[in-house]
Amino acid sequence: MAFVETIEHEATDRTPTVVFDFAAGQYRLSGESYPEDAANFYGPLTQGLRQAVEDRASGEVEFTVEMIYFNSSTAKALMNMFQILEDGAESGLKVRINWCYHDDDETMQEFGEDFSEDFEHADFRMCPLA
Amino acid sequence: MNDAAEARSESSVLIAEEVLGFQRNMTRRGIIFSFTGYISEGILKALGDALRQKIRLESTDTKTVNRVFSVFVEQVQNVIRYSAERIEHDAEPPVELSSGMITVGSENGRFFVICGNVIGRKDADTLAVRLRELAGMDSDELRRFYKEKLREPPDEGSKGGSIGLIEIARRASEPIQFDFQHLSDAQSYFVLKAYI
Repeated sequence: MAFVETIEHEATDRTPTVVFDFAAGQYRLSGESYPEDAANFYGPLTQGLRQAVEDRASGEVEFTVEMIYFNSSTAKALMNMFQILEDGAESGLKVRINWCYHDDDETMQEFGEDFSEDFEHADFRMCPLA
Repeated sequence: MNDAAEARSESSVLIAEEVLGFQRNMTRRGIIFSFTGYISEGILKALGDALRQKIRLESTDTKTVNRVFSVFVEQVQNVIRYSAERIEHDAEPPVELSSGMITVGSENGRFFVICGNVIGRKDADTLAVRLRELAGMDSDELRRFYKEKLREPPDEGSKGGSIGLIEIARRASEPIQFDFQHLSDAQSYFVLKAYI
């Protein structure tokens, strides 16, 4: 079984803080995300996640998103990762997604509600922060 | 006559008048800033920061600040992706610059973002169809359409920009305005204006 090493990125001007600890099943994205080439930034993260889910690198998965702002190509990347998580949950992996947002941020709340519609097997939780 | 006035050269006599007139004209039109030329991701970041600071100072609510910023980012990234006037070079780091114009302002208490750039004639036709479609949608329809597009694989050659247009339409307070100016058989000038 090939384990993927943890990926950690500090936030940059246009990309979020990233911690993807595949072996522990702990994933976190926080901050802002508007890289012009979102596919380039999120590609390795998505691939790592896919492999970790397929290999069952961890018994459970907790995926936390705490974004203030993201652009449309980041939304696409998030959607891709959520599909991997839902597929994993459908095949028996225990998956929890925490969608954290400031309680007065209607935009992020709406995005969370829209993403949540696609989850049947994974536990998608809306986590408003005061 | 003071020293500064005496110091100006014969040829520069009208420069101050001309520049001041230009600046006053922009101010009269409510323009906060306008940028013309080659746009890079670094310029997007710098202008975006200035924009957020400026509209926050006007004590605009957070929701409006975020909406204006989002429309601004999607519009500038559309220019970067789709402008037909571009320079690409495989230097290290790689150089990628696209030419266009971006203007942000406020008019009767509402913010607006305008982008203009040269595109291929064929792209103009596709874009016009997409934008007309978006103009006919209400906010719930736009929300659903955005979601639908997120699930789909990207259109050939779209580089993800079609979702960007929906994002702009969602954050705008009225249907986005757009127009094209014929430049040649191969090219058109494209303008998009969104009120927030």
